[in-house]
Amino acid sequence: MSQWRRALAISFKDIESYYGKPPLITWGLLFPAVLILSLYVKDPATYLAIAPGVIAMTLLFGNTSMAAIVVTFEKRAGTFQRLLLAPLSMRTIILGKAASASIYGVATALALALGLKFALGMPLVNPLIFWAGLILGAGCFSLLGLTAAVMVREVFEAMTLMNFFRFPILFISGVFMPLSQLPSWLKPLAYVSPLTYVVELLRLGVTGRSEFATPIVPLLAILLFLLASWLLAAALFRRRASA
Amino acid sequence: MESIPAISVSGLSKSFGSLKALSEVSFSVARGEIFAYLGPNGAGKTTTIRIMAGLLDRDAGEVSICGRDVAEDPIFVKERIGVVPEESNLYPELTCRRNLEYLGELYGLARGVRTRKAAELLRFFDLVDRATTPFGALSKGLKRRLTIAAALIHNPEVVFMDEPTSGLDVPSARALRELIRVINRQGVTVFLTTHNLQEAEALSQRVLILIQGRVAALGTPSEIRQRVQRLYLLSVTFSPEIEAARLLGACPAILQASSQNGAWRLEVAEVHAALEQVVAFARGEGVRISEINTLTASLEDAFMSFVKRGGPKAEALP
Repeated sequence: MSQWRRALAISFKDIESYYGKPPLITWGLLFPAVLILSLYVKDPATYLAIAPGVIAMTLLFGNTSMAAIVVTFEKRAGTFQRLLLAPLSMRTIILGKAASASIYGVATALALALGLKFALGMPLVNPLIFWAGLILGAGCFSLLGLTAAVMVREVFEAMTLMNFFRFPILFISGVFMPLSQLPSWLKPLAYVSPLTYVVELLRLGVTGRSEFATPIVPLLAILLFLLASWLLAAALFRRRASA
Repeated sequence: MESIPAISVSGLSKSFGSLKALSEVSFSVARGEIFAYLGPNGAGKTTTIRIMAGLLDRDAGEVSICGRDVAEDPIFVKERIGVVPEESNLYPELTCRRNLEYLGELYGLARGVRTRKAAELLRFFDLVDRATTPFGALSKGLKRRLTIAAALIHNPEVVFMDEPTSGLDVPSARALRELIRVINRQGVTVFLTTHNLQEAEALSQRVLILIQGRVAALGTPSEIRQRVQRLYLLSVTFSPEIEAARLLGACPAILQASSQNGAWRLEVAEVHAALEQVVAFARGEGVRISEINTLTASLEDAFMSFVKRGGPKAEALP
C-alpha cells in the first residue's frame, strides 16, 4: 500500500475521531455565522463586503487551531508516537494530518458560504476561484497549525504562539477593510500575509471584484505560501516531531 | 538471512546536553531470542529502544535491525519491528478492533488481511468480548494486552517491550509473560526491558545489565550469576531475635545484613569464617540458631552487586 493510501488512512481516522464530532462543527460555524448576521442586521447593503473576509477568517482560525490541537493532544496522549513508529515518511504524516484539518476547514467554510447564499442571497459569481481560495487557504493554514503544534508541548502554548501572527494579520489582510483603504505603510505587510490572498480569491469568487487585476496574482501568491508552509512544516517535523 | 542478527548495536553513544545517556553500548540479539535489557531507572534503557525504533537520533555508533541501519533505512526497519511502549498508547476513542485495523492500515496491510489479522489477535489475546469497547474504557491489564496485540498486527520479526508487565496485578502479569513466551515460540525476537528481575530470569535467554549508560554485564542469567559467586549468602534465624548492630559488630566476615520475618539474610565474603563467627556470636549472646542455610545468588543479587559497584567494572562474557 502506498504512502498516499496511508496518508488517507490518517485523514479518515482524524475525521472519525475529531473533526466529525458535532461540537467541533458547530464551533467552526457558529461564531462566523453570528458575526455576518449581526453585520447584515446592521446594514444589509454592506455585509457582502465583509462576508468573504469572514469566511477566510473562519478558515484561518478553524484550520490553524484544529490542526494544532489535534497534534498537540496526540503528542500528550502518546498516540502521535504510533505514527512515528509506523513505516511512514514524515511527508505522509504531515499530508494526512493537514488533509483532515483542511477538509474540516473547507467543510465549515463551505457550509457557512452556502448558508449565506441561501439565507441572505449571497452571490457566487466565480465558484471555481472561490473553491481554489478555500482549498489553498485551508492547506496553507493547516500546515501553519501543524508547524506551531510541533514546536510546543501544550495546546495553550500552540494557541498563544499562533495568536501572535493570527490577530495582527487579521487587521492587515483586507478582512474588515479593503487593501486600497489601508495606510500606505501597512500595505507591504499586507502583501506578505497569506490571508490577504485567500480573502481576495474568495472576494473574486463571491463578487467578481478584487484588489488584484487578475486572479493569477493571488493564486500564485497563495501557492507560494502553501509551498513555504509545507517546507517549514517538513523541516520542523523532521527535527522535532519525536521530541 | 538466518545468520544476520535480529539486532546489532555497536559503539552506541547518546548525550542529552552534558548528560551522557549511553556510552559505547554494544550487543547483538540473535533471531528468535528473548533478550532482557536491564538497568536501574535512568540507566538508558528507554533511550536505547527509542534509538532502535527510529524515534531518536544517535550521536555515534551503529544500530542495525534485521541487517539494515535504522537511520539509513527507517521504513525497512519499522516494517519489521513492533514496539510496546512503557505507557499503553493506543487511541482511547477507537474500539479495540478499530485500533488494530487502523494500525494495520498504517503498516500497509490490505483490507482483508488487516481485518483477518485483527480478528486473530483479538482471539489470541482473549479480547473478542471487548472488540467493540473503546480502548480508553479498558482496564490497565486489558490495555496492556491490546497494546502488545497492536505491536504484532504486521507480523514483526522483532518486538521491543518496554516494561510490559509494569503496574499489572500478579495474575495479569503472569498471563502476559505466558503470552510473551508464546509469541517468541512463533519465531518473534523479543527485546525486553523490565524492573522485574525474576521475570527477566524466567523469560530471557540472555541478559544485559546497563549501568549509567554503559554495559556492566552481558550473558545468560546463569553466567551473570556466576560473576558474583564470590558473594556468598547465608540465611540465619536466631531465637530469640537479635540486634543488627551487635551481629555486625561481632562478625566482621558479614558484609551486609538484612532481616525479614525474623530471618537474617547475610552477604558474606567467606562462608567458613562467617559461620564460625555467627556460631560464636550466638553462643556469646545466649541465643539459639533455629535455622541456617546457604543461598545461591539470584539474578537480582547479581544485578544489585553491579548497581552497588556503580558502573561497568566487569567485562561482557563471550
